[in-house]
Amino acid sequence: MSEKYGLKNWQELALGGVITDGGNAADYETGTWRTWRPLWRQESCINCLRCWVFCPEGAFVLKDGKTPAGKDRKEIKQIDYYYCRGCGLCVRECPVNKKGKKKAIEFVREET
Amino acid sequence: MSKYFEVRWHGRGGQGTVTGAKSLAEAVQGTGKCVSAFPDYGPERRGAPVRAFDRFSDSRIRIHTPVLSPDVVMIVDTTLIGGKGLVEGAGESTIFVVNTERNAAETKELLSLTTQPVYTVPANSISYRLFKREIPNSAMMGAFARACPEVISLEALVAEAEKIFAHILAADLVGKNIEAIKCGYDEVQTA
Amino acid sequence: MPETRAITGNGAIAEAMRQIAPDVVAAFPITPSTQIIEDFAGFVADGKVDTELITVESEHSAMSACIGASAAGGRVMTATSANGLALMWEMLYVAAGMRQPILVAVVNRALSAPINIHCDHGDSMGARDAGWIQIYAENNQQAYDNMIMAPAIAGHADVRLPLMVCLDGFIISHSIETMQLEEDRQVQAFIGEHKAFHSLLDTANPSSWGALDLHDYYIEHKKAQQVAMANAKPVIEEVSERFGKEFGRRYELFESYRLDDAERVVVAINSVAGELKEVIDELRDEGEKVGLLKIRVFRPFPYAEIAAALKNSKIVTVLDRSTSMGAYGPLFVEICSSLYDANPRPMLYSRTFGLGGRELLLDDIRDLFEESKRYLNEGKIEKTSDFLNVRGG
Ligand code: SF4
Ligand code: SF4
Repeated sequence: MSEKYGLKNWQELALGGVITDGGNAADYETGTWRTWRPLWRQESCINCLRCWVFCPEGAFVLKDGKTPAGKDRKEIKQIDYYYCRGCGLCVRECPVNKKGKKKAIEFVREET
Repeated sequence: MSKYFEVRWHGRGGQGTVTGAKSLAEAVQGTGKCVSAFPDYGPERRGAPVRAFDRFSDSRIRIHTPVLSPDVVMIVDTTLIGGKGLVEGAGESTIFVVNTERNAAETKELLSLTTQPVYTVPANSISYRLFKREIPNSAMMGAFARACPEVISLEALVAEAEKIFAHILAADLVGKNIEAIKCGYDEVQTA
Repeated sequence: MPETRAITGNGAIAEAMRQIAPDVVAAFPITPSTQIIEDFAGFVADGKVDTELITVESEHSAMSACIGASAAGGRVMTATSANGLALMWEMLYVAAGMRQPILVAVVNRALSAPINIHCDHGDSMGARDAGWIQIYAENNQQAYDNMIMAPAIAGHADVRLPLMVCLDGFIISHSIETMQLEEDRQVQAFIGEHKAFHSLLDTANPSSWGALDLHDYYIEHKKAQQVAMANAKPVIEEVSERFGKEFGRRYELFESYRLDDAERVVVAINSVAGELKEVIDELRDEGEKVGLLKIRVFRPFPYAEIAAALKNSKIVTVLDRSTSMGAYGPLFVEICSSLYDANPRPMLYSRTFGLGGRELLLDDIRDLFEESKRYLNEGKIEKTSDFLNVRGG
């Protein structure tokens, strides 16, 4: 069975289902779950990082940047679509999106 | 001593009958015998008739059933006389120890006993005298020692009771309870 | 020095807990187990034991707190009865599935309704499939001894399962009996250190407990639990043997009492074994070939060993102190399974007794043996299953 599906036998399992490899979320390609895709628009983004906070998959990648006044800050670099599962939380939480006119994150159907 | 020496206590809820049975067992245990003591829990209401049992033996006691044919019946409350079950299972020589102010002959008649020895003790009076309230157990234990010296002597009972009470009572109360045991022993009447 | 004392079953369990000195006890009181936690709370308050005692608002919370504390690496215990155990139900399975070696004293009591506080085994028997080791005790001494053995069994690396020590409510829990309490240091040396297993508090090696398993893994984890139960059997034997060497009281998976040449055998659990032994001795004096098989370990159930022990028996009466509505009693079912392959197979029947504390007196037991004698002589069992001492027949 294990050979066929690549799963472990009962003898190989940790007792009581304990998970000891912390941070193993990185092993899961949750991008395959996506049917809608967030598109990040740098030109409209104010780098408030709310999307980065709310994203359940940690799909927003940051980079170093500067405020208009020249102070150090983190900025959004891109969305990692290997992990983005298309939940749309970022789309809803983005304050630029909430104001109405422009969108810093657009939500579009995945192309097949 | 036959295989098991069995005692049945009759009292009322809240009177300390179960504690009396247990304290007596602990004291007898202190003399090197095997003992068991247990209540017959019904509805636990103050004033309701309750029973408790003791078994003493030279070897390990295996049974847990209620005492049906007692060697001794301890009646902790005189108002129980006339009620059900006091003389149930009693043999010709079953000893009755009764807390009452009545004399022994009268008590014997009230219980409709013939051959059975009756020991009466005014345990309530003793208790009022010493504690200013009704806790008849210690006097009853003293009366038991008087009725059944082959099970436990007064000296052994006093020595063991001192140890047992020291665990659960303040020093002055230990002394008073020992006094109650001795009074119970001394003030017994027989018929 | 070991100490001979006249002490209640509950008091004896509380003393065992003091000696085991668990890191955490989470409990909610219920008759007839209340005195265990009362006494133990006294030990905590008096500084005799350094345990975190958590008084919770229900038994469900008690078991939940036990599971959390155990996953955090602590040695954990509690006590309960009847409806309290029933309220733990969901969490019993969680404790077992998470392989937490939690120890529970179950003071057996009938389940409501009607409300009843007296002894039967409906509570622990109902929990028999929850994945807990179950060890039963005839008297105060055995309840204490089983509890002293429990940590070494439950926490054994090949086992790691939660464990119930079961004793009869009131009959044992509230009776004082002469017994021997062993010396603290000797007991503690026997029990040994508790080894935490992937403690939640080990922040250097983080772990998650209680994660999801779907059809891809659930059954593998259940298989592992089943194997752990099988492993528990030799571990119980080994720990019991070590206990016997250390303290002089010997225990096996079950007790065979005058069984070798017994033709008529009663199988029973817990305190009624005392009454049975008493009557068996009397009947033996009268020349009757009667014996007792007293179950000690009900989970894991020692099928093969029991079959071997009953191989000379001609008729077996199984006494259940609980019932399964619409089915035979749980012990009877197990004994049937044990004997299915026996050749010759003894005659076998089931009697249910003692529900809600109904007494079974020595004379009743004599009648029981009379009945098995008649069945054996007639070569026929009149009633495969029946209640004893029930009005209306
Ligand atoms: S859609 Fe969901 S998963 Fe994808 S980036 Fe936005 S918040 Fe993260
Ligand atoms: S929430 Fe919107 S504005 Fe804020 S960083 Fe994310 S994309 Fe930019």
